Amino acid sequence: MGNFLPLIQNENMKIYRRPRTWVMVGILVLLVLTISILWLIFGERSNTSMWDVAFMESSILFLLVTIFTVVIAAGGVAEEFTSGTIKLLLIRPWSRSKILLSKYISIMIFALLLAIILFGSTLLVNWICFGINAGPDAETTFVGMDGGNPFSYMLKYYGLTLVSLVVTVTLAFMLSTIFRSSGLAIGFALFLLLGVNSFVGLIAMLDYTWIDYLLFIHLNLTQYLDGNPMREGMTLGYSLTVLGVYYVVFIALTWYIFNKRDVAS
Amino acid sequence: MEQPIVKLHNVTKKIGKRTIIDRLTLDLPLGEVFGFLGPNGSGKTTTIRMMVGLMSLTDGEITIGGHSITKEYEKAIRHVGAIVENPEMYKYLSGYDNLIHYARMIPGITEHRVHEVVKLVGLEGRIRDKVRTYSLGMRQRLGVAQAILHKPQLLILDEPTNGLDPAGIRELRDYLRLLSKEEGIAVFVSSHLLSEMELMCDRVAIIQNGKLIDVRTIRGEHAAKASNRVVIEIDQPQAAINVLQAAGLAGELEGTNAIAVEADRESTAAINASLVAAGIKVYGIRAQVKTLEDQFLEVTGGERIG
Repeated sequence: MGNFLPLIQNENMKIYRRPRTWVMVGILVLLVLTISILWLIFGERSNTSMWDVAFMESSILFLLVTIFTVVIAAGGVAEEFTSGTIKLLLIRPWSRSKILLSKYISIMIFALLLAIILFGSTLLVNWICFGINAGPDAETTFVGMDGGNPFSYMLKYYGLTLVSLVVTVTLAFMLSTIFRSSGLAIGFALFLLLGVNSFVGLIAMLDYTWIDYLLFIHLNLTQYLDGNPMREGMTLGYSLTVLGVYYVVFIALTWYIFNKRDVAS
Repeated sequence: MEQPIVKLHNVTKKIGKRTIIDRLTLDLPLGEVFGFLGPNGSGKTTTIRMMVGLMSLTDGEITIGGHSITKEYEKAIRHVGAIVENPEMYKYLSGYDNLIHYARMIPGITEHRVHEVVKLVGLEGRIRDKVRTYSLGMRQRLGVAQAILHKPQLLILDEPTNGLDPAGIRELRDYLRLLSKEEGIAVFVSSHLLSEMELMCDRVAIIQNGKLIDVRTIRGEHAAKASNRVVIEIDQPQAAINVLQAAGLAGELEGTNAIAVEADRESTAAINASLVAAGIKVYGIRAQVKTLEDQFLEVTGGERIG
């Protein structure tokens, strides 16, 4: 019934009219600038490739993109509940599923926007710092053995991390819907992301088959870029399948609970 | 009576083993301000939440404009405007953006209509400010504004006078009466403020412990006739009751030295004369007007919560 776009417009308004969103974007761009400038000051420009710096920054700062998006996703549903606005939001001629979908879509748009800003700013800043009249000895060192094109390598890297970002953010979105508390959702999602990721390497060494199905073994897809997966015999296709199954479960649970729940106080 | 716009039929809500709402059946016609009165915790807000689909029904059915709230939610809610409990808004947005937000969710609301509503609730001066800076009364007005944006046929207001100053309450009251009479919409107002309901509503349903106790007409030709109870202060109540009995009137004891009797203006004078003739001292006579409050306390038995 009616046009769905205004709902996404609404959710976007609720994201971008808040100062915190722009603080996040500001921090991201500022960090890119800072790292590049420090590198320029303390490193040697003549033998530094812009791609090396851009790639290094991307791999560090993408974690920040994930954290920021998790914060927004965790707030998405929970804040409507804690502020009580959920009551006025739901009593419109829209099904709960569609209202939830509009929130989910606008959060995904935000994730994509942050990733694009990171990608764009690392490339632009480092092109200005290191790319123009590049030093004679500058050689790209990070690209795998095959010596492919650094730009397409970066794109692949972003593509794969975006897939894990979507799964992580969906997890945060689900926690936000279940617990109706943004603090709990942020805390839980980040604990799983950072805490578990730090000893996931250890777990991966264990020789049990059930470990093959753990979400966290598969969240870092970039392990396939250089061809040395965490566990022997794992392929990109296999990881994507496992992530896909988790994703479907997360989405189903989120929508089921949101539709079912009584909205009290 | 017109075709009712809202029908509640045997509505029941159970949470765990507790029955919050017990087989509530109620019809609301268009063109009336309908009050929903009950002590705290009697189930007013729960009923309203079920009417707008925020809560599921354990049993029974609610239809709005002929559409079931559970089966055809989007159609049923289309012509409903509501405030459930406090009018919570997005504090980080301006009042205007809040209204635009809700306007976008229903097709056909023009910017002109938004301005019209803003003017109607008297928020022109502050509508561009962030809701964070609003007083409770202003938020209440904004709440009313979002509820009437799409010209609903049914307006549900949960405790709408909360936080309004006397002038604001009066304004709201006049406006609600105007909406129901001129535009012919049904207004459903919940409150525990009895005197307020008396001034605002055409009819009042009284609910207690989740059960509908009574529906009373307050205005119009069906309104209950003003009570003709007269209280007479005297020195010998028992003797006075005997005198009244002889005259064919049923008097009853009211306190220790007074009696009460049903009597109109003329017979009050006659009763007085006969009491004096029987040698009973009459200290005072007053007509007892039963307010809604008395009636309310009477039907709810002044019972305590829980």
